[in-house]
Amino acid sequence: MDTPMIELTDVTKAFGSTKALDGVSLTVPHGTVLGLLGHNGAGKTTLVGILSTLALPTSGQARVAGVDVVRHPEEVRRRIGLTGQYAAVDETLSGHANLLLIARLLGATRAQAASRAEELLELFSLTDAAHRAVKNYSGGMRRRLDLAASLVGDPDVIFLDEPTTGLDPTARRALWDVVQRLVREGTTVLLTTQYLEEADVLADSITVLSAGRVVASGTAEELKNRIGHRSVSVTVRGADDRELAAAALRRAGLSPAHEDDGLVLTMPVRDSTAVAQVVRATDEAGVDLAGLAFCEPSLDDVYMALNHSDGR
Amino acid sequence: MTLTTDQTAGAPAPALTRPLRYGGAGVLRQVSVLSGRSLRALREPALVLPGVLEPILMLTVFSQVFKSVSQTSAFPAGVSYIDYLLPAFLVTGSISAGLKSGVALTTEMNNGIIARFKAMPIHTGSVLVGRSIADTVLNCVNMLVMLAAAALVFGYGPDGGVLGSLGAVLVAVVLGWSLGWVFMALSAWVRKPEALQPIGGIVNMVLLFASNAFVPAEGLPGWLRAFAEVNPMSYAITAARDLALGEPSTATVLATLGTCVVIVTVTAPLAVRSFRRAT
Ligand SMILES: Nc1ncnc2c1ncn2[C@@H]1O[C@H](COP(=O)(O)OP(=O)(O)OP(=O)(O)O)[C@@H](O)[C@H]1O
Ligand SMILES: [Mg+2]
Repeated sequence: MDTPMIELTDVTKAFGSTKALDGVSLTVPHGTVLGLLGHNGAGKTTLVGILSTLALPTSGQARVAGVDVVRHPEEVRRRIGLTGQYAAVDETLSGHANLLLIARLLGATRAQAASRAEELLELFSLTDAAHRAVKNYSGGMRRRLDLAASLVGDPDVIFLDEPTTGLDPTARRALWDVVQRLVREGTTVLLTTQYLEEADVLADSITVLSAGRVVASGTAEELKNRIGHRSVSVTVRGADDRELAAAALRRAGLSPAHEDDGLVLTMPVRDSTAVAQVVRATDEAGVDLAGLAFCEPSLDDVYMALNHSDGR
Repeated sequence: MTLTTDQTAGAPAPALTRPLRYGGAGVLRQVSVLSGRSLRALREPALVLPGVLEPILMLTVFSQVFKSVSQTSAFPAGVSYIDYLLPAFLVTGSISAGLKSGVALTTEMNNGIIARFKAMPIHTGSVLVGRSIADTVLNCVNMLVMLAAAALVFGYGPDGGVLGSLGAVLVAVVLGWSLGWVFMALSAWVRKPEALQPIGGIVNMVLLFASNAFVPAEGLPGWLRAFAEVNPMSYAITAARDLALGEPSTATVLATLGTCVVIVTVTAPLAVRSFRRAT
């Protein structure tokens, strides 16, 4: 499918004199995940609000599945699922009743609604809690129910606004699994997050938002290349070996460094082919290595570098 | 001649209506599902009891404190104070009921469930109409409970009989329904329950105490009396009271009901509009 499922062109959103979004353009192809990264107040929720027809852009164009969100909001609503930043479920109802409610509002018969509710409760491991009131759910259970609620109508595009904030690692991983499964089935996802690992795991491409502007975008790989903090580190068995290895590595054109009396030598490299070079040099020096590691830069490095460069 | 698909150059491709998995629900279904949701609160005693107990408690206090009013000259002769007071209580209860609709709406706007509904393929108005219906039904139940309690415990038994009292309940419920729309329109505007509560409190105070709810207008000091005589609440109370006491004035009743309908006609579209915009 060629039409991008999400398309923003020069979108701005002003609240009085605050520009929550300041000329944002981005594109999300069908069946992919866009990770929207940004610190507090970057404009992530504002962007999701515009795409899900809750708010109007001040200027610019936004389309979901080719449909303009300003001109045909009712058409957009037929195609999307929204999981907002704060779990939006009815506290007084049970999980089952919440899903039933959504399904009925979408036109399902009682029987269809009940079977859809059970299916989704199962998918999110909420079957045991199905008939308990949501106000007695844990934060993670509530979040899962919230995501389930936005999937009832089988949307083409789903918006997830910080879906795993406040979840423990197990719950987070379980949610990631569900998102990955949805994407495999052809759903397009826009996900905002503060967790770089999350974007790294889930997103096909990443857009970094800062003060309403796009400051970087690309695949995780591209962003890492831009910052380029790749390194190789070797662990030696003693101080003597360390000096031998360091000298050999310097002769090979590398610049190893180590902590005062540490046994780990770390050196920046251009790419993973440098590993062979490191092994050759230490081998020729007759040093027996206790360990060897090639380190990719983390998205944390990218994130920090970008946010430092824009003066924060 | 056969018409083919419109391919006018330049026109935006008409968005193909995406078939919904479940075909979508009509407005009536939306409203009934949404009001059903709000009515489920009825199963939760903690949410229902205060609404029932508060007026009964107030009734106890007022009927004791103001008993002496029925001995004053402005008071209609031969009417017991409880018979005089209860219809006013039905009407005042409706102000609280209306306020409750607005507060519930702001609460849900803040906890995100309203955002979920707004991003769904349903009408914005359905959410408000659903709430209005649920709250009106709940108000009706509260009023009937109050009526029964008054009759059983306080010896309420005005000359209008059961029919007259039911007429008073009808006036009160219609009033509560219309005030519900006023407060829902306000809530879409102020957005925060903390902000709506005090507004409601003030409206309540002004409309009530400067009216003929507790004492006849003639018994109030000059300036207060002037206000009480033009206070729309006084008309509603008079309408309800005359019905209960068995001397209904068709004109007052019709004027009250008519005003309520006008209020809803004006505020409901306003509420839906500002509610759609508020995020
Ligand atoms: N309704 C509003 N009225 C006024 N200002 C707003 C409104 N909504 C958002 N803003 C402002 O717009 C900016 C972006 O807010 P937004 O909620 O989109 O950020 P965010 O990236 O989602 O942040 P967080 O990580 O805290 O959720 C902030 O400066 C915020 O104060
Ligand atoms: Mg946010």
